[in-house]
Amino acid sequence: MKLVFRLVVLAVLGALGFWLWTVLFPSPEKIVLKKISQLAAYATIHNGEGNISRAGKASNVVSAFANDAEISFDVEGVGAKTLSGRDEIHDATMAGFMSLTSLSVQFLDPIARVGADKQSAEVTCTARVTAGDSKNFGIQQLHFQFKKLDGDWRITRAETVKSLQ
Amino acid sequence: MRILVLVVVCFVVFKFILLPIRVSGISMEPTYHNHAVNCVNRLAYLRHEPQRGDVVAIRFAAEDSFSTPSEMLMKRIIGLPGETVWFHGGHVYINGQLLDEPYLKNPCDWEHEAIQCGTNQYYVVGDNRSMPFTYHTQGRAYREQIMGKLFL
Repeated sequence: MKLVFRLVVLAVLGALGFWLWTVLFPSPEKIVLKKISQLAAYATIHNGEGNISRAGKASNVVSAFANDAEISFDVEGVGAKTLSGRDEIHDATMAGFMSLTSLSVQFLDPIARVGADKQSAEVTCTARVTAGDSKNFGIQQLHFQFKKLDGDWRITRAETVKSLQ
Repeated sequence: MRILVLVVVCFVVFKFILLPIRVSGISMEPTYHNHAVNCVNRLAYLRHEPQRGDVVAIRFAAEDSFSTPSEMLMKRIIGLPGETVWFHGGHVYINGQLLDEPYLKNPCDWEHEAIQCGTNQYYVVGDNRSMPFTYHTQGRAYREQIMGKLFL
């Protein structure tokens, strides 16, 4: 009985140790998925949120990108546009935040793939965006490219993906 | 015990066989209205391939064909693999032949050049063609993207 108890304690400690290891030393997949989740949170603004808070969130959005990052989107009914560099991304984000009463961004079903060199990664996900008080939302598949720059994962390219050919 | 069995059966049925969905958007009007509730039969194409006229649920990414996505497209199949789909004068022509579409209720004036489906592709489009062509999500979906047929 004592042996069984000791084995159970050992198994629990082993599981706890493994869990702690994954928390303290997360895999690159987990890190980039967390970055994507953070980006969605930064890109979400609530009704009544002040301009200072919005400016702060815009800076947070931009900080997820590399200096020479590029955002390329082509949305049905909206058109195609490319943003190059952090300045353009910041200006476009601020313009969007200031013109909307609220914005809800979710990145659903993300799939991360890390390169063999562990220095680059790709994430595909489905963006669900609700602007203002609208009950309807837009859906768009997105593809992100990440690179590990100065020890931190940053987005080097984000683009829309056509789900139907 | 009965409750446990019921819970397990419900979980299996509604997770893997009949996937509950909520329609969002107007692209399938008037056949399916915005906010309507329906189910996707994931076993519909076990014995045969998708047919023309079927309303299907389409996953966004073809590569992840096992998991259940949070969002799906709901469209009607009008073009089968290898066929050419052409919109002219608001009508659909399949390999040059006019397609009879009794489910369409709204006027349509779409014009678009002919599109050839690949050997593993289906042309899908919504029933609401009163909206401009460029605003309407449509095109060729790979077979792997088709999750199942609408149940109701």
